[in-house]
Amino acid sequence: MTRVTAAARDAVSDARAAWAPSQTLLAVITAAALLLPLAVRDQLTLTSLASWAYLALAAVGLTFVVGLAGMPSLAQGALLAVGAVVAAVLRADGDWPPVAAAAAGALAAAVAGGVVGAAVGRVRPAFVAVATWLFAWLVARGLAEFPAFAGGAEGRIVPQGTVAGIDLGATLHWEIAVVLVTLGALGLAAVARGQPGLGLAGLRERPAQALALGVPALRLRTAAFAAAGLYAGLAGAFAVQLDGIADPAAYSPVLSFTLFAAVLLGGARSAVGAVAGTALVGVLFWAADRLASSAGVATGRLETLFAAALLLGALAIRSETVLPSLFRRREEVPAPVPLPVPRPARLEARGLEKRFGDEPALAAFDLTVEPGAITALVGPNGSGKTTVLRLLAGTAAPDLGEVLLDGSPLPRGSQRTRALAGIVRTLQATQVFAGLSVLENARVGAGLHVQATGLARALVATPRARAGSRVARGTALAALREVGLEGDAERAAGHLTATDQRLVMLAAALAASPRVLLVDEPSAGAAAEDVARIADVLVRIRDRGIAVLVVEHNLGLVGRVADRIVVLDAGRTIAAGAPHEIGDDPAVRAVYLGGRVISRKTPD
Amino acid sequence: MALAFQVLVTGAAAGAVYGLVAVGHSLVYRLTGVVNFAYGDLVGLAVFTTLLVAAGTGPVTQTSIGGARFLVALVAGVVVCSAASAGTYLFAIQPYVERGSTVGWVGATLAVAFALNALVALIFTRASYVIPDPLPFRRVGTGGYFAVGEVEVQTRAFFVIAVGVALAAAASVVLARTSFGRALRAIADDADAASMMGVPVQTLVAAAFGLCGALAGLAAIVAAPSASFSTQTGLLLGVKGLLAALLVRFGSPWRAFGAGVALGVAEAAIAGLTVAGYELGPEYREVLPIAAVLLLVALRPPRQALEEQE
Repeated sequence: MTRVTAAARDAVSDARAAWAPSQTLLAVITAAALLLPLAVRDQLTLTSLASWAYLALAAVGLTFVVGLAGMPSLAQGALLAVGAVVAAVLRADGDWPPVAAAAAGALAAAVAGGVVGAAVGRVRPAFVAVATWLFAWLVARGLAEFPAFAGGAEGRIVPQGTVAGIDLGATLHWEIAVVLVTLGALGLAAVARGQPGLGLAGLRERPAQALALGVPALRLRTAAFAAAGLYAGLAGAFAVQLDGIADPAAYSPVLSFTLFAAVLLGGARSAVGAVAGTALVGVLFWAADRLASSAGVATGRLETLFAAALLLGALAIRSETVLPSLFRRREEVPAPVPLPVPRPARLEARGLEKRFGDEPALAAFDLTVEPGAITALVGPNGSGKTTVLRLLAGTAAPDLGEVLLDGSPLPRGSQRTRALAGIVRTLQATQVFAGLSVLENARVGAGLHVQATGLARALVATPRARAGSRVARGTALAALREVGLEGDAERAAGHLTATDQRLVMLAAALAASPRVLLVDEPSAGAAAEDVARIADVLVRIRDRGIAVLVVEHNLGLVGRVADRIVVLDAGRTIAAGAPHEIGDDPAVRAVYLGGRVISRKTPD
Repeated sequence: MALAFQVLVTGAAAGAVYGLVAVGHSLVYRLTGVVNFAYGDLVGLAVFTTLLVAAGTGPVTQTSIGGARFLVALVAGVVVCSAASAGTYLFAIQPYVERGSTVGWVGATLAVAFALNALVALIFTRASYVIPDPLPFRRVGTGGYFAVGEVEVQTRAFFVIAVGVALAAAASVVLARTSFGRALRAIADDADAASMMGVPVQTLVAAAFGLCGALAGLAAIVAAPSASFSTQTGLLLGVKGLLAALLVRFGSPWRAFGAGVALGVAEAAIAGLTVAGYELGPEYREVLPIAAVLLLVALRPPRQALEEQE
């Protein structure tokens, strides 16, 4: 009991600390909305408003997938239908109480959403759109063809119930919808700010970089779809009780399109946008119906036409965000949490071989990356350097040979399992998450070892999730300090210079507390003075005791930082040793014929 | 045996149209990496444009339209569909592909789909329409049907299948033999490289969209008199074609066409199928294939996984 009160007090103080004017506005709007039935006495109007409020709830849910995860889901209407049908059957045949039926409907839709998410969690966005669109058709056709679910063409009558002795009429529905939308918006905001939201944003902007930082892609995307299903299911399960009938025609794929359009119109980034977008579509439908009745056209004929035209126009003007992001939260800069001192780790490759078709990209390759030292891997283009990194980082599997960490072989597995074991890789191309702040970039990496980072915990902001988020922010800030970008923590990463962006990538990797860091061409395209900054950072990382492997073209940088150099040519090691030994090696000179000779390490 | 023959012919005739829509979906996906969600409604547009030119919006019987007028109507339908298809690429797809906005082209093509659908439904307000047929199939056999054993097969079905195969062959030949097809294959391999080699990528892709629109539009117009046609039929054709294209992972024209025909036959067969003593019945006709293909995609995700993006 004392733990609960302590946690509650903690939560209140957190909320107070993070209180922003936008939240005051949200509270005022919610209160005004709750009082609306005093002003609107007409039950039909109130019914209509309540049903649009439920749609807004589904749109807020869709924002998890379309906005946070950046996946074009066309399944939201179908998930809403799942919730509606389950609730309708339980109400009509099982005589369940309204709220229990709604909860069951929401749960069923969340499970359905999770299944859809798991199925499309690893495919390209175009396939996500296709698969979810087909799912929407599957549900729509299924409801139309099988009367057992929604009563077929006539629909299934849902009896009106009571909640705590009050008739569940339009007024109570409106109040429930407003509360649910508000809670839903808070949940979405909590997820967006927390670790799962950052992981999803990373996957949205730069999938390869997010995966390299060990973001659990499939798990997060499945959870995002499940959350979308939960919201849609709640919306459908209550709305079907408001309508009094489950009508298969109401759950055609048009509904999925309408929700998708509402989210896009609202900017697809926040709950406020989703609600505003839904309101926009609602007003548009109302206007379309007024126009239709005055023009003698059947009601409903113009609705979709207007929505489609508005969406086309809006997209043409501005690709993804139509309503500007109204509330851009300033992220408070946390107290740094010291980076953990890594346990020393020795990474070894033994007899690695990799073929692409008949071409051996790498043969009989041995390498040892010592802790607290920088090993440099050099060689001409196509000599197999990046292949080595891919094999070590787990993005590719060797045809022969094995990778050992501290003498024990690493199992084959995803980048995440390697990252959790302490092997983190940075990518060759400059791949910061441009839309996130510098601090958030590092937080994506810092989330790797933080406990309680699941989406469900973030959704309800459990004390452990909030504590984890604090630790991740502190770790991220410490990593930024290490690369000298602490002062830029709040800037958008995409606005930094190319070199600073590379340092942000190094900071994100460092925030993931690596024991072995694999760095792919850190100085690509950097000017001479920037190379010096990168060299300094690499040396600082080494001095933390981390085992560093650098693949690099810039021999100046290599000569400056490397403790040991391995020269690769045509998939084979042709020389290995200290920098001064390599510089004099005739085989190396032959490879770099007429080119530069690796400079001797200059004493600092 | 006779029943199986009936299922095969009826299914293949419906599937021939799915197949040509699938050919279009596949080609478009391989050229641009996008899926044209408006494709089905573009096909519907072709059929309704033909109907409008041939007979207006009023009631029409199968026999009331002469051959010459129908030919004009057919050309109008194909041209409108082809132009609208190319337009969809230029205005609803290309700008978003260039910006790298998946959500953008998904939204825009769906918006085109529903806008077209709503516009056609504003003009053609009845539940379904009969499409006139200038070719006298109804005089072959008894009222257009001939008996095979105890069942009857529509004569028209053979014509639809033949036209479908011919159009698929045409698509295949264009892609394999012509310089236009060579350029398209180069774009599908690597659009950036093709562009640097001086291939006018945007123009050629727009032309390919036009070609796909013409092929599927023509197939749908030819098949339309076999059954009644509603404003929702086009939308559904787009979905069926997409299903077939997904089944073969947006493969070559022949594979996509084959998948479409297979889907048509499967739909026809499912209605009469008995599984473990339980007769499935027509309500499973559309649901089962979608569920099966989705299951296949979930269990064997397409090659290009997350790691290979970017």
